[in-house]
Amino acid sequence: MSNIEEKISEAKKLALQITRETEEDRLMTLSVGPQHPGSGHFRFVIKVDGDYIVYVDPDPGYVHRGHEKMCEYRNHFQNIPHLERPVIHDSCNITYSYSLAVEDLVGITVPRRGQFIRALASELSRLSYTLYWLAIYGIFLGHSTMFMWPAGDRELLIDLLERLTGARITNAFSIPGGVRCDIPNNFKEKCLAQVNYFEKRLKEYEDIFFNNPLLRQRTEGVGILTKEDAIKLGVTGSVLRASGVPFDVRKVEPYDVYNEIDFQVQYMKTCDSFARAYVPLLDMRESCHIIRQLIDKMPESGDVREKLQFNIKSSPGETYKRVESGRGALGYHVVSDGSPKPYRVKASVGSFRNLLALPFLLTGSKLGDMPAIYWSLNYWPVEADR
Amino acid sequence: MNTATGYIKALQSGTKHVVMKRFTFRYPQEKLKFVGDGYQFDPKKGVGIAGIRGRHILFHDKCTGCQLCAIACEGIAEAITMVKVDEQWKQNKKSIMPQIDYGKCVFCGLCVDACPFYALYMTDDFELSSYTKSHLIYTPAQLAVKPKYDGEVEIKIGKRGAYHGR
Repeated sequence: MSNIEEKISEAKKLALQITRETEEDRLMTLSVGPQHPGSGHFRFVIKVDGDYIVYVDPDPGYVHRGHEKMCEYRNHFQNIPHLERPVIHDSCNITYSYSLAVEDLVGITVPRRGQFIRALASELSRLSYTLYWLAIYGIFLGHSTMFMWPAGDRELLIDLLERLTGARITNAFSIPGGVRCDIPNNFKEKCLAQVNYFEKRLKEYEDIFFNNPLLRQRTEGVGILTKEDAIKLGVTGSVLRASGVPFDVRKVEPYDVYNEIDFQVQYMKTCDSFARAYVPLLDMRESCHIIRQLIDKMPESGDVREKLQFNIKSSPGETYKRVESGRGALGYHVVSDGSPKPYRVKASVGSFRNLLALPFLLTGSKLGDMPAIYWSLNYWPVEADR
Repeated sequence: MNTATGYIKALQSGTKHVVMKRFTFRYPQEKLKFVGDGYQFDPKKGVGIAGIRGRHILFHDKCTGCQLCAIACEGIAEAITMVKVDEQWKQNKKSIMPQIDYGKCVFCGLCVDACPFYALYMTDDFELSSYTKSHLIYTPAQLAVKPKYDGEVEIKIGKRGAYHGR
């Protein structure tokens, strides 16, 4: 009898040894991405304590391709097709910023009609980017209809870009000196019809997705980024506007024709994941409004491009120009030593700045809230790595 | 908003799509209509003419073998190489013409912008897939062929939503 009791007590001790928990044993390390279909080309290591995330370590750099170094071996025109590679569906905005910088160095002004067409292409590009992002946000939260609808409606804008620029995504349209070609016949009518139809569709997005109680429960009050924290972390774009700061480069530092356009900077004060998802929708509405004004105010005729030599030499100096892209302020710092090739090019992109908010927001939240927070940051891995 | 009305509205907007038209189109049977005959460039005005950027077309009677297209492509894709051709043309003393590797080409169209002699344009032929990589290299003779492409459908907006129609 005593023999059996001894054995039981031994077994109990053994079991206690096995299940004895130290602080390290409690935590489980998970690697999210880069093989995860939702994370993009990006990995972050998280440690979870039960259901709560206690430690986040973002690990970008899987798609780094030396984009800024590559610019030093090519002239300003040859830079355009490969500068747009990081975000191919927002290419008009990336090349816009670089073109503005080069024009400043060379010292030319773009003809007025060219400025309008460039702004129009940039707005269309921004819309198509935001829809792509919204589609991924939808499917990441398990709402497959919200993947299908924006991905389908994006075709309306891709079609317009294809008519205008000649390519569906890699447009290579804004170049130093203006735009590559004039708008084709009947483009204005076609653009107005499709953009007006698209604006009506946004109402349906609200009904099925944004006002859906399922989405609201998953995103409201999740990942709070207060106004002070947002400013301290230096986030930009829709993430900053969702935290109650009405900052938009188009309004703060108007470039080209944006000072003639009447539009509001959309922002929300709830600071949560829902606000970060909803502000891009408000932005899309504003973009439709801007497109209508651009078409209305565009001069009937005129040059669209200031002719520059292929090997244009810029004066020595440096400049920094930024535009508002789909992911926030996007600027290029170009240093020139007077040769046809830039001496140094440095990009400041919205994605990388928004990445700083990721560890801040995820620490302390539940694992289930991770998708809702991660994609609400409007983060594009390829652009952040460059 | 009330939770119940939220669910009902979401369901409503989804069910509405039962009566809406199909937005997609059946691709190989129907093809998309493009603007113009492809991207072209007018060197005198210095402005391009809008069109889709598909594969190139080379006019042998205008090409002078000046290599400007190859120089433009140098830092971008390095898809253009100048090759010797058997033909004799008065304007082309060296008898060299561009040969384009579509395995490398990114269809940016800067070679078209570089050509000062109206010799290189782009066409609306975008269906370039092949079984081998070597078939993607187009010789000057292949580039001279004008492609036949007839698109039919384009986006239209009707009462039952947007659709691709004739």
